[in-house]
Amino acid sequence: MLTCRDLVAQSSDLLDGELSLRQRISVRAHLAICFRCRRFIRQLRVSQRVIRQLPDAPVAELDTLLRAMAAQQRKKGTAADHDGPQ
Amino acid sequence: MTEEQLLAGLRAGHQAAYAALVTQYQGAMRAVAIAIVGSSSADEVVQDSWLAVVRNIDGFAERSSLKTWLLTITANTAKTRLKKQRREVFIDDLRGPHGSIDNDRFQPDGHWQQGPAGWHSDSPEALLDAQELRDCLEHTLSSLSELQRSVLLLRDRQCLELEEICNLLDISHSNVRVLLHRARLSVFATLEHFEVTGEC
Repeated sequence: MLTCRDLVAQSSDLLDGELSLRQRISVRAHLAICFRCRRFIRQLRVSQRVIRQLPDAPVAELDTLLRAMAAQQRKKGTAADHDGPQ
Repeated sequence: MTEEQLLAGLRAGHQAAYAALVTQYQGAMRAVAIAIVGSSSADEVVQDSWLAVVRNIDGFAERSSLKTWLLTITANTAKTRLKKQRREVFIDDLRGPHGSIDNDRFQPDGHWQQGPAGWHSDSPEALLDAQELRDCLEHTLSSLSELQRSVLLLRDRQCLELEEICNLLDISHSNVRVLLHRARLSVFATLEHFEVTGEC
């Protein structure tokens, strides 16, 4: 019989669909009778979505990067002109 | 902007397309770079990767998604930087600032000693409404090992498949699972701590 500690140990695999059929059945059986583990799994899914929605930090020095990319683009264009048919 | 429009813009060398691309994918690329070369060289690797993207965009055959292509370029740039010096994958156990859900939460028979506390909401938007919690989560993420943090971000933020993470970072499936699980429990512990105490 799966304990709550076992369930927590398998919780990430449950979220990622990494459990075998047998493991899934015993996890489901445990969740059916254990309120605290149901809450744990529900909140683990919430915290996964929290990470998903955490605002992005702005890109540092975006302008410098874009200038470097534009320079690379121009260099490529020049190289293509040189490589082109005469 | 759809991926098609973005690609057309990139191929035409439009600045706006580059800006959109960088803003959208920089986070994922940094996570890959940090996992492979560490934080100190990650920004350089990402910059070099962007230049490689500009050089090679015409050769992008669309056999994979744009995101997969960008992350593969980043992983290759990072691995070249390492000069084939194989890094030991260190399955460390750095604890987040609010611990984890570990043994002391359970009775000897394996049942909860102290069950998970209820949270005031199950909505991520409602939880993230508190600036203090957002800062607190950033603090927890920065206290994880670089590899743990990257694996968590690539999976739960960027929604990459486990297999894709294994391939990009050259780490085994079981190691990815262990890293991910530990990182998630640290994040869980931070959220729980904040919900119970109202502080970081």
